[in-house]
Amino acid sequence: MNNSDPGKAGSFSRRSFLKSIGTTAVATAAAQTQSIAAELEKANAETTIGPGAVPVTLQVNGEALKLQLEPRVTLLDALRNYSSLTGSKEGCDRGTCGACTVMIDDTPVYSCMKLAIEAQGHAITTVEGLAKDGKLTKVQQAFMERDALMCGYCTPGFVMSVSALLKKNFRPTADEVRHACVGNICRCGTYPRIMEAALQAAGVATAMNKTEVITYG
Amino acid sequence: MKSFAYASARSVDSAQQMVGDNGQYLAGGNDLLGLLKEYLVDPKILVNIKSIPGMDKIEPSGKVWNIGALVTVAQIESDPGIKKTFPGLAQAAADVGSQQIRNVASVGGNLAQHSRCWYFRHRDVLCLKKEGDMCYARHGENKFHSLFTGNNCISPVVSNLAIAFAALDAVAVVQREGQPVRMTMAELYAKAFDNPTAHNSLNPGDLILKVEVPVTRTHSAYLQTSEKHEFDWALVSCAAAAKVADGKLSQARVALGSISPVPHQVKGANDFLEGKTLDDATASQAADLILKNAKPHGHNDYKIPMAHAMIRRTLLKLNG
Ligand SMILES: Cc1cc2nc3c(=O)[nH]c(=O)nc-3n(C[C@H](O)[C@H](O)[C@H](O)COP(=O)(O)OP(=O)(O)OC[C@H]3O[C@@H](n4cnc5c(N)ncnc54)[C@H](O)[C@@H]3O)c2cc1C
Ligand code: SF4
Ligand code: FES
Ligand code: FES
Repeated sequence: MNNSDPGKAGSFSRRSFLKSIGTTAVATAAAQTQSIAAELEKANAETTIGPGAVPVTLQVNGEALKLQLEPRVTLLDALRNYSSLTGSKEGCDRGTCGACTVMIDDTPVYSCMKLAIEAQGHAITTVEGLAKDGKLTKVQQAFMERDALMCGYCTPGFVMSVSALLKKNFRPTADEVRHACVGNICRCGTYPRIMEAALQAAGVATAMNKTEVITYG
Repeated sequence: MKSFAYASARSVDSAQQMVGDNGQYLAGGNDLLGLLKEYLVDPKILVNIKSIPGMDKIEPSGKVWNIGALVTVAQIESDPGIKKTFPGLAQAAADVGSQQIRNVASVGGNLAQHSRCWYFRHRDVLCLKKEGDMCYARHGENKFHSLFTGNNCISPVVSNLAIAFAALDAVAVVQREGQPVRMTMAELYAKAFDNPTAHNSLNPGDLILKVEVPVTRTHSAYLQTSEKHEFDWALVSCAAAAKVADGKLSQARVALGSISPVPHQVKGANDFLEGKTLDDATASQAADLILKNAKPHGHNDYKIPMAHAMIRRTLLKLNG
């Protein structure tokens, strides 16, 4: 922590104090998962495992999920069928629809195209892990308020793609939202509402009523 | 998916040893898991190569950049150096699938990905590529298929990166039987031109280590046209690269994807462009040369005028 400003010495605000604790905690957690990943890699290196079930530990939404899985089990399958995290949906099971999107270390990926054993040592976030203490995130809230779903099957995937985008780009344009969501398909076709929800969550939706921010082309 | 054993390799040597005769390398898994789920491949072991140190780096240099086989497509898309030095390559990467795919897809896997022909991908169809006795696309639905081929299979190469690399005259370094072998993009796919069962020239066990990209060509561009605006394979893709000085081209290269089992390049057209100033007439003449002898199959007739337009547009982008 940089506390060299003489005017402020010893009197940094409570907010910046909390902020710095926050980042330290996050950084420590990230460093921990990374060092676990490195250790795991070393331990598993060059040893052939399977084809039978082997112990697999997944860090999902901050909790360790201990499972017995064959190497062929995908991350999506592990979440939905070997534990009870059914938030991530199976649409195509071929990397073409986005319903299964989860974040691995903040990066959105298709969990149907990833083997569960390969997700060990990484922080996995599913749609169930977004809300904290029963409070929905801005993105989830905006999807509700904008009624950005019809059947809702694609929703968890879209919520993950939008959440991942807003982590690196706080104020995306409509085009940036669209680009981030091209890997998610909505069979019901509620794309305009999804766009509205994403922009609202990013705090740019208010301009919508005045100017034509969204082009639905 | 059938079951398989799994191991993570720590070195190129051990990866090759473990993969043996019945194994397959696993990088991002975007292609391999698809093949496994359709029962199109039946490896006894998957060897994870992401654990091999040192293969995930982009190494710039004044002459030749080294791009490791484990570098992701997302890294190529967003690397500021690549955007500046090889804009055509960055664009080709940006047009691959969706962010979920680009985040995990590797350079090696993108180059070695298998045919997307819908007959090939159907588990119950035994076509020439699967050592059956006919090509179903020739007599069936062929709108995504090739205009050129040296054999009876008309499944085209669809790797975006291969097309951009071909225009840049890049070389893949492949570890084969304990030795690194250097292959141009033409060589990396040549076998698929002559042999319907091959989709590239890699032998079982061959491991792509990296791609070397020379900086000779100061300008590069890539364009593709797909049915969907984004998240779709190209109907036709085109990459062009050249050294441009005082408006004149030298060492120009044009390569097209999705119209041949190999990145489609015509030496005569590259030679024709030498020393030329680019305008629409020149670009159009080059396109005529590149598409001479194209053989459409009915549903893919549209690819000829489309490719012609794409060659002109991509070449003219080199001016800008
Ligand atoms: C819906 C969808 C859309 C797509 N759209 C596009 C597109 O528009 N353009 C495009 O180019 N691609 C597209 N792809 C393909 C995707 O880019 C490739 O599947 C991906 O790049 C493969 O890389 P990977 O690391 O996931 O490979 P993997 O699936 O891990 O491997 C693919 C193959 O290559 C082999 N392999 C991997 N690495 C090496 C190596 N270093 N040396 C030798 N062999 C190796 C594997 O054994 C396997 O046979 C799309 C895929 C999907 C599912
Ligand atoms: S184009 Fe090739 S892969 Fe497709 S059906 Fe014909 S032989 Fe098979
Ligand atoms: S279920 Fe994974 S992308 Fe469709
Ligand atoms: S709301 Fe039904 S698929 Fe999107």
